[in-house]
Amino acid sequence: MIEVKYFGAVAEKTKCEFEKIPFSEVSLQQFLQDLEIKYQFDSLSFSVAVNQKIVPKTTDYKLQTSDVVALLPPFAGG
Amino acid sequence: MNDSIRYNRQIILPEIGENGQHKLSIAKVLIIGAGGLGAAVLPYLAAAGVGEIGIVDDDVIEISNLQRQVIYKTSAVGKYKVEEAKAMVSELNPLVKVNAIAEKLSGKNAISLFEQYDIIVDATDNLSIKYLINDACLVTNKPMVYGSIFRFQGQVSVFNYQNGPTYKCLYPDENSQSLNCEDAGVIGISVGIIGMLQANEVIKMILQIGEVLSGKILVYNILNNQQQKYDFEKNTIAKLDKKAFEEKYKVAENQIEEIAAEVIVNEIDNDEVLFLDVRNADELPKINFKNGIQIPLMKLENEIENLNPNQTIYVYCQSGIRSKIAAELLQRKNFKSVKSIAGGALALSQIVKEKIAD
Repeated sequence: MIEVKYFGAVAEKTKCEFEKIPFSEVSLQQFLQDLEIKYQFDSLSFSVAVNQKIVPKTTDYKLQTSDVVALLPPFAGG
Repeated sequence: MNDSIRYNRQIILPEIGENGQHKLSIAKVLIIGAGGLGAAVLPYLAAAGVGEIGIVDDDVIEISNLQRQVIYKTSAVGKYKVEEAKAMVSELNPLVKVNAIAEKLSGKNAISLFEQYDIIVDATDNLSIKYLINDACLVTNKPMVYGSIFRFQGQVSVFNYQNGPTYKCLYPDENSQSLNCEDAGVIGISVGIIGMLQANEVIKMILQIGEVLSGKILVYNILNNQQQKYDFEKNTIAKLDKKAFEEKYKVAENQIEEIAAEVIVNEIDNDEVLFLDVRNADELPKINFKNGIQIPLMKLENEIENLNPNQTIYVYCQSGIRSKIAAELLQRKNFKSVKSIAGGALALSQIVKEKIAD
């Protein structure tokens, strides 16, 4: 299982703050594409963290079981 | 002696002491934004005895601000925020020098303002100004204490601290969008908590104690009290110097380049450029450019996808006023090369006539 955490406007789209997704050896890029298809983030911009560390979305990384992915959009309120 | 009594409870902390109090008293902090975050940061820095505090904001107090901007009184509605903030501090701690700057932060004033302070606090409420603050901090080599809110969640980080990662390393996309408090809604407590965490980072940097949130972003959710820290690295190596900064922000600061009709006469047959007429279809004189298009100013925003942002575009209207507004709009939408033709169609038709007569 991969745990995914959603923040800010991303969580509004997903209607949940975290979920567990059955693990099937995928690259981070593929995983993000699947989420995009599922939730239609469209123009929403966010950074991606794997195990509490922000990584480039294009990074060549194969997700491991028990990885925690987080989608962090910028906030603007103040 | 009076000062020692005022600050006694923090001076007796081993991490602060008389020495730390002295560091606070000579520190200069600039707070950008006197809204919800600024209203939380300011009183804590002032009470702790930060020597000089600048506050930048050109807004006046509105009644809808008061549920979260708790330093303002109902009787002050309609007054400048920075003036009221200054008055509040002078009663709280007259030892603090406050500079009330009732201006909008822009590419024009950012560098000269930042140069006068040690630490810059981002207490703003929109994304584009955060990139401006980030860039100006890079140019002036100042740390940026970032805070922002989305409903019940907040983010805090310190950028450009001792050459550390910047806002752009965390969020590279300068064109991204996010709702501010007015659109998304906010409760005073969330801006209060995040503003206090920002004030805490400021104090730690001044005192050189603890661990500064550099290369880490703290995300706080007040509904479930979860907080998480995420690490990020420096990935923008390009140094931004003053010249590059000025070039970048001149564009955004309505510095629309005007070009004389005479100068572009040679471009009339150039297929690489586009002449954009932003007048209404019935306005005279008509000028028929083969590389021309007409989109009335009112419709420009909706029909913007018909234009190529990488093409050089000469915008004209009747006299040169609407074309400037149109050029500003296009520049905001990241069109690369937009110029407004001075004197508009009236000047242009004259030149075109002369050219044909040649």
